[in-house]
Amino acid sequence: MPDKKLFGITALFDSPDSILNAAKKIKEAGYKNYDINTPYPIHGMDDIISAKPSKLSYITLFIGFSVAAFILSFMWWTLAINYPLVIGGKPYFPLPAFVPITFEFTVLLGVLSTVFGMIAIAFNLPYNSHPLLDTEYMRNVTSDKYGAIIEAEDPQFDEKKVKDYLMSLGGNSIESIYQPEEIKFKVFEPKFLIFLTIVAVLSAATTYISIDKLMYITPFDFMLNQKKGSAQAESSFFTDKYEMRQPPVGTVARGFLLYEFIRVADTNQFYGNPLLPTKKVLVLGQSKFLTFCSPCHGDYADDNSRLMAQFPPGPTLHSARVISFTDGKIYNIITNGQNVMPSYDSQITREERWSIINYIRVLQRAQNPKPSDFTTIKEFKKESGNVQN
Amino acid sequence: MSKIESGYIKKELPKNIGNIGLILLVVGIILSLIAYLTDPARAAFSYLTAFIFFICIGLGSLFLVTLEYAAGAVWSVPFRRISEFYASSVPYYILLVIPLFFSMHNLFTWMNPGVVAQDKVLQGRMVYLNVPFFVVRESAIFLIWWLFYALLINNSRKQDESSDQKLTAKNIKLSIAFIPIFAFTISIISFDWMMSMTPKWFSTIFGVYLFAGSTWVALAVLTLSAVLLAENGYLSPKVKRDHYYSLGTLMFAFTVFWAYIAFAQYMLQWYGNLPEEIIYFIHRWTGGWKYVSLALVIVHFIVPFLILLPRSSKTNPKILVFVSIWIIAAQYLDSYWLVMPDMVNNGFTYSFSWIDISFPIAVAGLVIVLFNSMVKKHNLIPLGDPKLQRSFDFHL
Amino acid sequence: MIVAKDYSIELDVIEGNPTLKALDDVIIKPIDERPSKKFNIVLSITVTLLLILAVCVGFTFYFGIGLWGNNQPVAWAFDITNFVFWVGIGHAGTLISAILYLLRQQWRNGIARFAEAMTIFAVICAGMFPIIHMGRPWLAGYLIPYPNSHLIWPNFISPLVWDVFAVSTYLTVSLVFWYVGLIPDFATLRDRSTNKIKKTIYSIFSLGWRSSNRHWKHYEKVYMILAGLATPLVLSVHTVVSWDFAAAVIPGWHSTIFPPYFVAGAIFSGFAMVSTVLIFVRTVFNMEHIITIDHIEKMNKIILLTGSMVGYAYVIEWFMSWYSGTPFELFTAMNRAFGPYAWAYWIMVSCNVFSPQLFWFKKIRRSIPITLLIVILVNVGMWFERFVIIVSSLNRDFLPSSWHYYKPTIFDFGILLGSFGLFFTLILLFAKTLPVVSLAEIKSVVKGAQPDHRGGNHNA
Repeated sequence: MPDKKLFGITALFDSPDSILNAAKKIKEAGYKNYDINTPYPIHGMDDIISAKPSKLSYITLFIGFSVAAFILSFMWWTLAINYPLVIGGKPYFPLPAFVPITFEFTVLLGVLSTVFGMIAIAFNLPYNSHPLLDTEYMRNVTSDKYGAIIEAEDPQFDEKKVKDYLMSLGGNSIESIYQPEEIKFKVFEPKFLIFLTIVAVLSAATTYISIDKLMYITPFDFMLNQKKGSAQAESSFFTDKYEMRQPPVGTVARGFLLYEFIRVADTNQFYGNPLLPTKKVLVLGQSKFLTFCSPCHGDYADDNSRLMAQFPPGPTLHSARVISFTDGKIYNIITNGQNVMPSYDSQITREERWSIINYIRVLQRAQNPKPSDFTTIKEFKKESGNVQN
Repeated sequence: MSKIESGYIKKELPKNIGNIGLILLVVGIILSLIAYLTDPARAAFSYLTAFIFFICIGLGSLFLVTLEYAAGAVWSVPFRRISEFYASSVPYYILLVIPLFFSMHNLFTWMNPGVVAQDKVLQGRMVYLNVPFFVVRESAIFLIWWLFYALLINNSRKQDESSDQKLTAKNIKLSIAFIPIFAFTISIISFDWMMSMTPKWFSTIFGVYLFAGSTWVALAVLTLSAVLLAENGYLSPKVKRDHYYSLGTLMFAFTVFWAYIAFAQYMLQWYGNLPEEIIYFIHRWTGGWKYVSLALVIVHFIVPFLILLPRSSKTNPKILVFVSIWIIAAQYLDSYWLVMPDMVNNGFTYSFSWIDISFPIAVAGLVIVLFNSMVKKHNLIPLGDPKLQRSFDFHL
Repeated sequence: MIVAKDYSIELDVIEGNPTLKALDDVIIKPIDERPSKKFNIVLSITVTLLLILAVCVGFTFYFGIGLWGNNQPVAWAFDITNFVFWVGIGHAGTLISAILYLLRQQWRNGIARFAEAMTIFAVICAGMFPIIHMGRPWLAGYLIPYPNSHLIWPNFISPLVWDVFAVSTYLTVSLVFWYVGLIPDFATLRDRSTNKIKKTIYSIFSLGWRSSNRHWKHYEKVYMILAGLATPLVLSVHTVVSWDFAAAVIPGWHSTIFPPYFVAGAIFSGFAMVSTVLIFVRTVFNMEHIITIDHIEKMNKIILLTGSMVGYAYVIEWFMSWYSGTPFELFTAMNRAFGPYAWAYWIMVSCNVFSPQLFWFKKIRRSIPITLLIVILVNVGMWFERFVIIVSSLNRDFLPSSWHYYKPTIFDFGILLGSFGLFFTLILLFAKTLPVVSLAEIKSVVKGAQPDHRGGNHNA
């Protein structure tokens, strides 16, 4: 038998009083590297061997408070900053509603961190091979006997002395425990590498097949091929084969006002201008006129337009004919178009059209002023103290 | 158990305590009388606050006594007599409630016929909320409590001499009968005196809320007295710091329990946002009450929670004394928060007044005077209790 | 004849005075033995029920919720009733393990392991329901907050999302708590077993436990922390479940007393189920000296206490529905007692309020057959309580034109029955693979287990 290294000497005791006594004596004798093994915790053992209290509760405390702060900030960020939604009329950060989740999550992480702390620190995973495991001593100590072990590392250790001492304390089944053979596992062991490769290939293949192939096979493609009508597809339900339907005849969209003369060039009556020539209306009208009308009709609605050289040029709006048009007729022309002029109803909103018409009237008045207009202007300028003429 | 075996020596409390108690009581009564004469409406509200607080201590202590019997608890036996002494205020409720009966019209909107005539809800409640039924109901409840107090305490005192275990068996039966009665009567008290002040409001958990606060403050007065008495040799040398642990744990548990009940009540009514329910909390959030509500959370929950969280605090006499005093003050703040904001319901405007100090002074004085007189007459530990030896053997 | 009780002596937790080895043997015996014929018969019954569950759930997934009786306005019926029922049953286990531990009640040691296992199985049964009652269960992942392509997050303000966190936390913490308790037992099993496969499995799960005092010190601290955290957790889980209802404004649901009322009800039904199962376990496994009649009596007292709390809540709700002056509240209270579901209401009241009151009598508390009958009635009553709360409030709420009667379908019943199958199958499997009593804990409370010179008792 090769010379195995001694780990320690163990002794078994039969009653809780005897083990407590033995522990006291071992401590008093000055041993430092020893341990007590019992099937359940013995009251008073901690005090006797002056074990330092466990510090695991600090992990719980620290993690608990950090997690609470984290989850609260997370909920605040998601529901107040990232995608703010008004839910049930509650504010973006409804603290009373966040309390339950904060509490639950704190407890969850507190528990998990404490237990993992215990396993990592106290049980020293993953290096949990220990000479005492799988010995007769251990078999007894997890069942119905109480045990003490004095380890060989202890400065006062002497094999014979310790054996005698333990027997004198009342221990029986004195056993010598040896260090197990150290088995080193190479990382680059061929079997392990092959195993890793197989696992990698299998998981990659499974993932790829399930996401990229399986999802397109019946019945897993049920979300792709749904029994609903797609707007551009052919319809098997409607006789005209259109999936997209027209609104029923005679319906009007909400907020939409019908213009009865759409695509009717000449009618007997026209709508009246609902907008007064206020400054706001005229500013809007000017801006839209310059945008849409001036290319053909000119900046001042004369025929000095950018299209002058083309045929046919945009007519002037200062002719007697146009001056005699009602506002409604001009509106109809803008909406329906006339001759070469296209319909502008998709580009200019109704309000803008009326504003443009008001502006056209201003331009027309400017070109064909009444004599009284001049006096009005002179008086206005005198009143406002405008020296400059 | 004989006095020699237990190590208990009967002695009186230092003279100072009795004197302080008497001074506080007399000063408090004088100030309260002045308050009643100068501003009866305001005095009524302050008196109600103090009265509710007083009930919390006395009735809560009686509950702790019955809880020990019903649960068969062993660690608390040396302290039970202290709770019995605090419960000695129970017979006085029927007397102390009389000024409130005479100033009820200031407290309750449902006493105002003009208001009731316009409100369908209040009319519907008239069969329950009317003066005769109200007076009879409250008096009956106080008398029932007095009855249980008398029977329980009588048996407990007799046992000091006779050490008869049959008395324990009787008290256990009385306790088990008392507990459901306590549950319903404390709920009725809370509904009648506090919930009915806000006309349309209701909350099914309100009785539990008062229960939580009441047991909490009863534990605090118990801990304060028990620790001070034990540390100064008034109990038995066999009472160890280990015995304090459960007091600390229970105070901690009820801190959390109160916060849980208070939060459940608040959160649900905040969430539903129904007009008839939320008015209660709106009253407690407008003006200065906002700060009182926030202070309540900190003072009634966060501070005691953090102080009592570590294991070591629960056996540390200095910390226990400090946190007990804190808790007593916090429960008074809770009673204040429960009663005062409802002044607006009857058309009064609230502002802090000296009257609010006069009544608590009287309460403090009365509690101390009663306790002192009990110590003079009776033993501070239940010598005849069969569980006393087991209790002395108890350790963590 | 009732003998007068002597209060000055400490009662033994375990009867007789078994040696530690004898305890080991009697508790581990079921694990080592091959399953008996009786066991196989019972297992086949529960597995049949489990298969019924699988079939009904499969049909539900394929065809949709239309197979159930749910309609408008009764959109929640058997599904959520079963959910709350099973979550409630789970609470007794944690209460026994955690709360009774903190209260230093040593009699819990014999029943804690089994109760915790029941918690886990009950929560598994419960957790199934929120998922299957969705129209598109395969999208259940949306409830978890992860960055997704919709750029939207779960609604953390909703009690249903609180439920997701609460129930998953509860399952995880219960599992962890149960596992931590199992570590020393795995070590015992590891050292006793001779079968190589079993020994490997036990070795892995015991994490190298050596029963060393160094380990016990950390272990006890962690156990205390877990118990201290699990206590508020168990109260909060059923509170959150109660908020599923109380946060709505339907009369009969919107009541502030729901949290403590539901928690008391959960403990009530949980203890009833624990009693039911343990009555069988103690006889079948010859553990009558470990799970004694005293323990059963104590559990019956708790059932009486929590049943009375539930009764208190019923009375307060009745009173408040009148006091509130809201016609809707009063109508709901009347509707529950005298409306179309009155039959369910009165089953509930008689099972929950009247039957546990029999436990006032000592003779009944200590009689196993009557206890068994009462606890089964309690479970029936508590199921009906959830049914009454959910269905009667939804069936007739504010608008009479929306009222609609709910009738369960065969699939509803199949899933309810099948959930019992799942629960009992897991229990039977557990009873045969793991020690049903915690070996380390029970050994520590046998007479003579703790050194004498420390004196006396740790009993509270």
